Amino acid sequence: MGKAEVEKKGGANHLAGWEEVFYGLVKAVELIFSGDPDVVQITILSLRVSGLATLIGGALGIPLGALVALRTFRGKTLVVSVINTLMGLPPVLVGLVYYILLSSTGPLGFLRLLYTPEAMILAQLTMVLPIAAGVTISSVSTIDPKLREVAVSLGANPLQETAILLWEARVGLLTALVVGFGAAISEVGAIMIVGGNLLGYTRALTTAIVLLTNQGEFVEAIALGIILLTLAFLVNAILTLLQMRSRSSLFAQIYTREPRLKW
Amino acid sequence: MVVAAILTASIVFSTTNPTSTTRSRLVIATTTSTVDSGLLDYLKPYFDKRFDADMTWLYLGTGQAIAVASRGDADILLVHDREKEDAFLASGNGTHRATVMYNDFVIIGPANDPANIRGAGGAVEAFKRIAEAGRSGKTLFVSRGDNSGTHALEMKIWSAAGLDPRERGWYMEAGQGMSSTIRISSEKQAYTLSDRGTWVKLKSALGEALRLQILFEGDKTLLNPYGLILLNPVKYPKINSELAEKFFLFMVSKEGQRLIESYRVAGEQIFFPAFGKAEDIGLPSEEEEVRYWIKRLSENGLEPPPWVKQR
Repeated sequence: MGKAEVEKKGGANHLAGWEEVFYGLVKAVELIFSGDPDVVQITILSLRVSGLATLIGGALGIPLGALVALRTFRGKTLVVSVINTLMGLPPVLVGLVYYILLSSTGPLGFLRLLYTPEAMILAQLTMVLPIAAGVTISSVSTIDPKLREVAVSLGANPLQETAILLWEARVGLLTALVVGFGAAISEVGAIMIVGGNLLGYTRALTTAIVLLTNQGEFVEAIALGIILLTLAFLVNAILTLLQMRSRSSLFAQIYTREPRLKW
Repeated sequence: MVVAAILTASIVFSTTNPTSTTRSRLVIATTTSTVDSGLLDYLKPYFDKRFDADMTWLYLGTGQAIAVASRGDADILLVHDREKEDAFLASGNGTHRATVMYNDFVIIGPANDPANIRGAGGAVEAFKRIAEAGRSGKTLFVSRGDNSGTHALEMKIWSAAGLDPRERGWYMEAGQGMSSTIRISSEKQAYTLSDRGTWVKLKSALGEALRLQILFEGDKTLLNPYGLILLNPVKYPKINSELAEKFFLFMVSKEGQRLIESYRVAGEQIFFPAFGKAEDIGLPSEEEEVRYWIKRLSENGLEPPPWVKQR
């Protein structure tokens, strides 16, 4: 249905306003079910780049956040403020800095990373890291300090103590990953610059949308936007499900049930 | 668990990445007009097949394209700003340059033509009329404002008209590509300068939604020649200079020039082959480059276009 309208090459039928959104939706369904190789490739690249960026950014950011939240040290407020500021790092600035560093005549040019998916991962994980750290700090800080006292009084060593607190804050840590992934997959400024939007290699959903919009191919652009939203929704749905399951708090268990802790 | 899921997903995806790594990749730093017009998409399958290559491009304005190439971040340069191209060559960044194709610029604006440029005697006069109408609050002009080749030509025309439109109320700088600038002009019912290729492509994609028309065309000032520049392999040893030369040969060969000529958008030809035709279209002679490339073509078993054969 609507294929004649969607096919605009002849220039006979032109769309305006909501029609474009509607045909974008139709086109999105069409693209998803027809398995258009270009779209599949672009979608996989987006997932791979943002997935790995979230994974690595989280793996570095969550421990960093936990460390900052659980330790008391001089200048802690400043560190927390810096991390919070970096949570709003402008993607285009990240892209520009990495471009200068990775440029073949730049200081890291020997790595030959510019215009590769790896450069895109690097740029995005730089944005995810402070988000993961920041959300971890705020969720670990809100844990009832009594839990810590209980754990210590029951003989937990510092490592076990940290583990308990992180387990207690696991909903928050999942949130850190959700927020980080959301920021990464929807970002365009950084990956456009360091990825170069090369067809079949570094073209991601967001950069393809920019290009299609510039070319006036609004229906296709909307279709890719719908695929992007669907992906973000699916990832969020999975993580929200995990969050709901883990709501039954360990802290609540300690207070409502008999103490059955093993240490 | 989540981490494991993402990790698994990432591994699965990375192994199914369909990008061919065996084919040699060519990165062309180019201007938005060659991309927006669809020309590179059209040429890609022919080039890829003939040289078993993977032709890709960076979608930039001429200013950024030249900056990126001068850092060695692209393999070859296809742009349209003669002054910057010559400066690029003069600084030793490039070794060879040839005009490979051309089209022209057009001044587009609202159908009611509030500045009355339809009857203007030349592009400079048309710009003067736009400025005048702008000053009396009757119209607006949207500039690319992005240091691109189109922007450079626009600034040249303003200065020929003895005007500095920047920071005037009727003059807006979009800082974006040609298509975006045209769309902004349409929304604002303003005038703008566009290359014909992007205009035709966008018009065929958007139709009546684009509320602008060509109001002035045909002045010699508005000629838009595209230069292909081979980067200096000594200065940039890491670039794919071998494939870059093949792309140059492809573009100036009979096949490449014919393909450029045969490309149509909505039935309209948007680029005209120009290799070996510099003087015919009113540009300085490129005799030396033409002779060099004819020699390289025959060394590589490729044919030059018929109009340069007799030389």
